[in-house]
Amino acid sequence: MIEVNGLTKRYGAVTAVHDLTFTVRPGHVTGFLGPNGAGKSTTLRMILGLNRPTAGAATIDGRPFARHRAGLRHVGALLDAADVHGGRSAAAHLRALAAGNGLPRRRVSEVLEEVGLAAVARRRIGGFSLGMRQRLGIAAALLGDPPVLMFDEPINGLDPEGVRWVRGLFRRLAAEGRTVLVSSHLMSEMENTADRLVVIGRGELIAEESLAAFAARGAGASVTVRTPDPAELAAVLALEGATVRTDGGDALTVTGVDASRIGELAHQRRIMLHALAPRAASLEEAFMELTADRADHQADVRTGVRPDRRAEALAGGAR
Amino acid sequence: MSAGRFRDLLAAEWIKLWSLRSTAWLIGAGTLAIVAFAAQSSLDTYQSWPGFTAMEKAMFNPLDEAFSGVSASLLMIGAGSLGALTIVGEYATGLMRFTLVAVPARHRVVAAKLTVVAVVTLAAGAIISAGTFAVSQAVLSGRGVAVSPGDPGVLRVLAANALLAPVAALTGMGIGALLRHTAAAVVTVCAALVIVPSFFQPTVHQWLNDLYALVPLYVWRTCLGLSELRDNPALPTVAGSWAAFALWPLAAAVVTLIVVRRRDV
Repeated sequence: MIEVNGLTKRYGAVTAVHDLTFTVRPGHVTGFLGPNGAGKSTTLRMILGLNRPTAGAATIDGRPFARHRAGLRHVGALLDAADVHGGRSAAAHLRALAAGNGLPRRRVSEVLEEVGLAAVARRRIGGFSLGMRQRLGIAAALLGDPPVLMFDEPINGLDPEGVRWVRGLFRRLAAEGRTVLVSSHLMSEMENTADRLVVIGRGELIAEESLAAFAARGAGASVTVRTPDPAELAAVLALEGATVRTDGGDALTVTGVDASRIGELAHQRRIMLHALAPRAASLEEAFMELTADRADHQADVRTGVRPDRRAEALAGGAR
Repeated sequence: MSAGRFRDLLAAEWIKLWSLRSTAWLIGAGTLAIVAFAAQSSLDTYQSWPGFTAMEKAMFNPLDEAFSGVSASLLMIGAGSLGALTIVGEYATGLMRFTLVAVPARHRVVAAKLTVVAVVTLAAGAIISAGTFAVSQAVLSGRGVAVSPGDPGVLRVLAANALLAPVAALTGMGIGALLRHTAAAVVTVCAALVIVPSFFQPTVHQWLNDLYALVPLYVWRTCLGLSELRDNPALPTVAGSWAAFALWPLAAAVVTLIVVRRRDV
């Protein structure tokens, strides 16, 4: 179990994390979500005692992490897959970590086998792709068979097969009764992995609840309509009590009236429709809505680039 | 639970040091180069010995052929860089985060690192000191001018030669912990340990002489590295020189400990 209590980190005048309190329970995969720059990595580093909090405290299984002697037996953490020395082989990197915690050598070959790097164990890490480094970082996290695991953006750089594998791994670790915390700036990564969510924006807690409860916060179902006569249709729908958003072109996003009723109304008023597409409420939208005003790197609205796409591009560019 | 014993931490640092190819290359090539330098220099003297004047023969110092000021500088730069890289390599790559998640007690990580680097560089220094002495005296004995370890002052010189390596290595680690940047650390190591001290000469100002007497390479050049000591109040004493040899690594160890404990990773 990870308990975070009033955690705050200030760098000069900048507050990276502000009075954060949440609990991560065993037996679940908990998603740790927030836009880039929200303070996720800083929070994880404070939990691990790597960064000293300005205020507040965090405990792992009831103790501050720095009190543990053999850290890997209590927590497995992948903070940044790039945190390795490129001159060492994968096996030597893990062997050094294992030796420091008095773990037997066979654990190294076991975890390399588990993450699918056994064949390249003797190769130098410098030649590894990002995906291979992510796997190596996951191997290091698993080394001490710990009850608590934390992964910072583990999906970055993995191929589709790797993404599927890692999701299965997280779920299995949680099913074994471990505490699993997985951070991401993309909601879509959480949809098929996490049962619970901790969402932050600009260093502050936005939500701490189940995935279902979080999804319910978002805008309800909507319908996208395309028509050559958007102004008239919008007026008709407004009379019906619908909320209508226009993109300035021929498309309308309608909430409050379902697709069949929109079709009926359009038929009665002889308004031609080119498209009529119902859309279910999505986690992505709930996330966007809640974090929109708290994203650090907002995309310019006029460019039409959604902030999450921009964030994705930024994350890609930073690698 | 037996996990996290100090022995385990030493093992971890040992693996980290030797799993980098650069370690073996640096130590192996450096040792060979300095020993080869001693052989070449001694052979040179062996050949030109008959042409030496009586004055030159009287002034001749056989220990100089084994391990000159150039060898001392090379050894200090090599060992200092090795010490700096063991810690900069972890900070610059981010590996330090993994290391401290595995072993959250930072002072224990620092203690293990200091121990392993000190032991490895002391061993390398001892091999270089003994190797250069053996090679050069074997050559010079052909002219009957070799010394033996039993001669006065010789063992002290051999010990001082060997200790230059761990002194430089631990100092380098302190500089590395402070700067956390590879190039900056190596340049500072060269400047602080070798380049700046090579300009120091005994002066008429005793306060300056006292200041110089705190610097390892200077006390090696003017005291510990000489088998026959000159009786001159401007020069450092043997006891004072050993103290200077101890002061730098101790200060560096304290700096490393404080910096690593205080800084966010």
